[in-house]
Amino acid sequence: MFSLRAKSVCLCAILLALAVYSAGCATQASKKAEFFGKVEPPPGQVLRYISGSEPESLDPQVGTGQPEARIYMAFFEGLVEYDPKTMEPIPAIAETWDTNKDSSEFIFHLRKNARFSNGDPITAQDFVYTFRRGLAPALAARNGYLAYEIKYAQGYNEGGSFVRDTKTGKFVTAAEVEPEAESKGQSVEPAMPANASPHAAELAVDKENPSYDTDFHHFMHEPVRLVVAGDEKGREKEFKANPKLRAALENKELVPVKAEDIGVEAIDDYTFRLSLTQPAPYFIGLMPHQFFRAVPRKAIEQWGDTAWTLPEHIVTSGPFKLKAWKPYNEIVAVKDPMYWDAANVRLNQISFYPLEETTTMMNLYKAGEVDAVFNHNVPVGWLDQIRPLKDYMDAPEVAIEYYQFNTTRPPFTDKRVRKAFNMAVDKKALAEYRKIVKPLTAFTPEGIFPGYPQPKGDDFNPEKAKQLLAEAGFKDASGKFDPKKFPINEVELTYNTAESNRQVAEFVQAQWKQNLGLTVSLKNMEFKTFLQSRAKLEYKGLGRAGWVGDYMDPYTFLALFSTVGGDNGTGWYDPKYANMLKEANRQSDPQKRYELLAKAEAYMLDAQPVIPLMTNATNWVKKPYVKGMYPNPGTLHAWKFVYIEDDRAKWDYGVPKLTSDKPTTAE
Amino acid sequence: MFKFVLRRLIITLPMVVIVVSLTWGLIRLAPGNFYSGEKKIPAAIEKNIREKYGLDKPWYVQYGRMMGSVLRGDFGNSLRYQGQSVNQILLMTLPVSATLGLFSYLIALLVGILAGTLAALKQNSRLDYASMALAMLGLSIPNFVLGPLLVLVLSLSLYWLPPARWGGFPSWNLVLPVLTLSGVYMAYIARLTRSGMLEVLRADYIRTARAKGLSERAVVFRHALRGGLLPVVSFTGPALAFLISGTVVVERIFALPGLGNYFINANLNRDEPLIIGIVAFISIAILLFNLLVDVAYAYIDPRIRY
Repeated sequence: MFSLRAKSVCLCAILLALAVYSAGCATQASKKAEFFGKVEPPPGQVLRYISGSEPESLDPQVGTGQPEARIYMAFFEGLVEYDPKTMEPIPAIAETWDTNKDSSEFIFHLRKNARFSNGDPITAQDFVYTFRRGLAPALAARNGYLAYEIKYAQGYNEGGSFVRDTKTGKFVTAAEVEPEAESKGQSVEPAMPANASPHAAELAVDKENPSYDTDFHHFMHEPVRLVVAGDEKGREKEFKANPKLRAALENKELVPVKAEDIGVEAIDDYTFRLSLTQPAPYFIGLMPHQFFRAVPRKAIEQWGDTAWTLPEHIVTSGPFKLKAWKPYNEIVAVKDPMYWDAANVRLNQISFYPLEETTTMMNLYKAGEVDAVFNHNVPVGWLDQIRPLKDYMDAPEVAIEYYQFNTTRPPFTDKRVRKAFNMAVDKKALAEYRKIVKPLTAFTPEGIFPGYPQPKGDDFNPEKAKQLLAEAGFKDASGKFDPKKFPINEVELTYNTAESNRQVAEFVQAQWKQNLGLTVSLKNMEFKTFLQSRAKLEYKGLGRAGWVGDYMDPYTFLALFSTVGGDNGTGWYDPKYANMLKEANRQSDPQKRYELLAKAEAYMLDAQPVIPLMTNATNWVKKPYVKGMYPNPGTLHAWKFVYIEDDRAKWDYGVPKLTSDKPTTAE
Repeated sequence: MFKFVLRRLIITLPMVVIVVSLTWGLIRLAPGNFYSGEKKIPAAIEKNIREKYGLDKPWYVQYGRMMGSVLRGDFGNSLRYQGQSVNQILLMTLPVSATLGLFSYLIALLVGILAGTLAALKQNSRLDYASMALAMLGLSIPNFVLGPLLVLVLSLSLYWLPPARWGGFPSWNLVLPVLTLSGVYMAYIARLTRSGMLEVLRADYIRTARAKGLSERAVVFRHALRGGLLPVVSFTGPALAFLISGTVVVERIFALPGLGNYFINANLNRDEPLIIGIVAFISIAILLFNLLVDVAYAYIDPRIRY
């Protein structure tokens, strides 16, 4: 018995010694090692990937997060797919597509051999179904707003109604009730953006394709109909905002907007047309989004909106199909022989591991139990060791971090004060401190949109900052800035609880202390609590925010401030800015459009509703034998291009090249 | 005895109702919603969601619905994980947490009782000091330190054991989490056993047993251990209930699909039915295990009568 104790003492001592030894080893080995941990390609073209938190659902129109998106990309395919390197749209179920002159209409030409996993062909009707289903109020899809550019999509999703004259049978148009003046400053917007600006695109009959001239197409080109809220309460609100509306509704009947009214149309089995409310050249970039990927009508109608995703019922449209789903453990995708391009799919299986603990992921990676992890997963403390290795993936992301001002509460109602707080933060120093991010002075991410003439916001300039604060009235008798005069108790910096957010907040706090002599207190909040305080503009002074682009276009960032509500969160809204964006999107020449967008961005930066901080970096690792997987700006991988390479000579040593070597668009 | 058990069982129901009601109220107080996320959703979509899940109804209707489903033993569907019912999730996760918990506790019991008994029998010997020092160490190293330490040595340096994930039962994946989890319990049980045994060994009935000329083995195992283990038994009830109903930290460190992992995410996601389901389950488990302990008492200690 004694020996047992002695043994366990021994064991403990050995354990401790080993721990110390291995820690020493790790640092030593890293000097020589090329890669982090074990490097042994798994047999049989199987990829083991950590995809993030457990997916909400396998329904691509229900799940909204990135962890879900990564999994959906194996199971579902849309009209177009993300380019594995650039994330620009590339052909998928649609072989080619055209737009009309002002990009308010897209016509997709579908391939004829696309099939669901049960063998049923995927046709234009399936996409009509997919789009309509996503917008159905009964589905209550959180991503529904992504499709609001589609004509009458918002009206349908919000349960709105058209207004019809019972006598003439004619519908009231939006133009008839257009309010005289632009909405006054920061007042509530009309519930429907009464986009009565005459639809620029004329109804041009395509001479080569007379079949494209359908009744539905004529309907889409009628003057835009008025859509009002479907319920009494909602309408009362609208009446208040626009007095003309009440009169226009008298003696009229309300006709609910139906699924059949939204601007999606199957011209024939393999031609699909989208009609948008306004010119939106960026809309094609949104088409690979999970929300627009083909879902199987038959299975959904048979099993219902939730049960159809169960492993025994699910029918998929992508290169892989579901083999097993063990929640919190593993989702197994296997190659689908029904997939139209199955011959070119090289992986036989992908095992998605839903996991959230960064350290656990890195442990699994090091031990060679997984082949790649998703983005942002190399802990800061490990960077010095892992970053020099050849399996570290480093590239800028289509994502930024910034602090937003509550512009509805003093002292940040004053633009000069906002500018001063921005100028007093040295973003270069911040980026160096954070190690992997890039400093940001504008609102669009740095180095992501080639050809975009990104404006530069104000530089780091503490002297100017103090001067601005003095001008704003916080000065002593001699006219110099006096920190004691500043109402510092009205200002705090709120962020959602996370180690990295705290570090950034403390850094910025120190900057203000050092450069302005102001000590801003920090406040952290649990994530959902924080979101609410931000959305309701309850936070005092400043709040942390981040934005990940929905598609590869500056507009996905700039549109944040095109409305009062939504994700704006600052209370800053300027109709002029909104119009500048609209104007830019009407521009058909891409370069000119970029210039107009950049002008709008500069205008917004000048108003300074935010303090831009940094462009994020992808920051993940993959084993060198995983090929066809790139650190693209959204960390979304088209799995059909990924494979395991056994030949060491062909491995990736370092970050693979990100410039596309093939034409990415079908135009 | 029968009456006692019946009374305790009957009390269980109102206890669960109270716990569930409190939980429900707390969820309501917490800001945010299961559908709120980084991106704000338009008011109309929010309205669609609230209608779909009956959140537009007055609070008493919602409460009534919730309580009705709890009393029926059907906790409804998870709000976060579409199409999965809470009962399904409980059934799926319970075996994982139970395997982990039972194994850890079994090992903790074996080692802990052995070490504690030996220490008590040889009080103030080197063995006693050594095992109590170790126990002290075990108590003061939290499992979120012990776990990573074991991983660092056994899986990342020696590549002997997988560092995480569930591999079913039995599998090598189970070794590290079980070791991590049992550490603290082992230490605690050793200390409980030691102090319990020390007290009992001085009792009159032990002296009587010795005086009767019983062998040392019979004295220790038949007489002393029975009384000396009482503190361990009373500790076992709640400990086992907690262990079986999921150990948040260990399940997270080792990425195990157990109740604890679900529970923490259910809270972060404001997944009301899932939170209620797990809370109800845990409270029932604790109440039942405590009852079992009380019944076990009566068998172990002949002086106790209900």
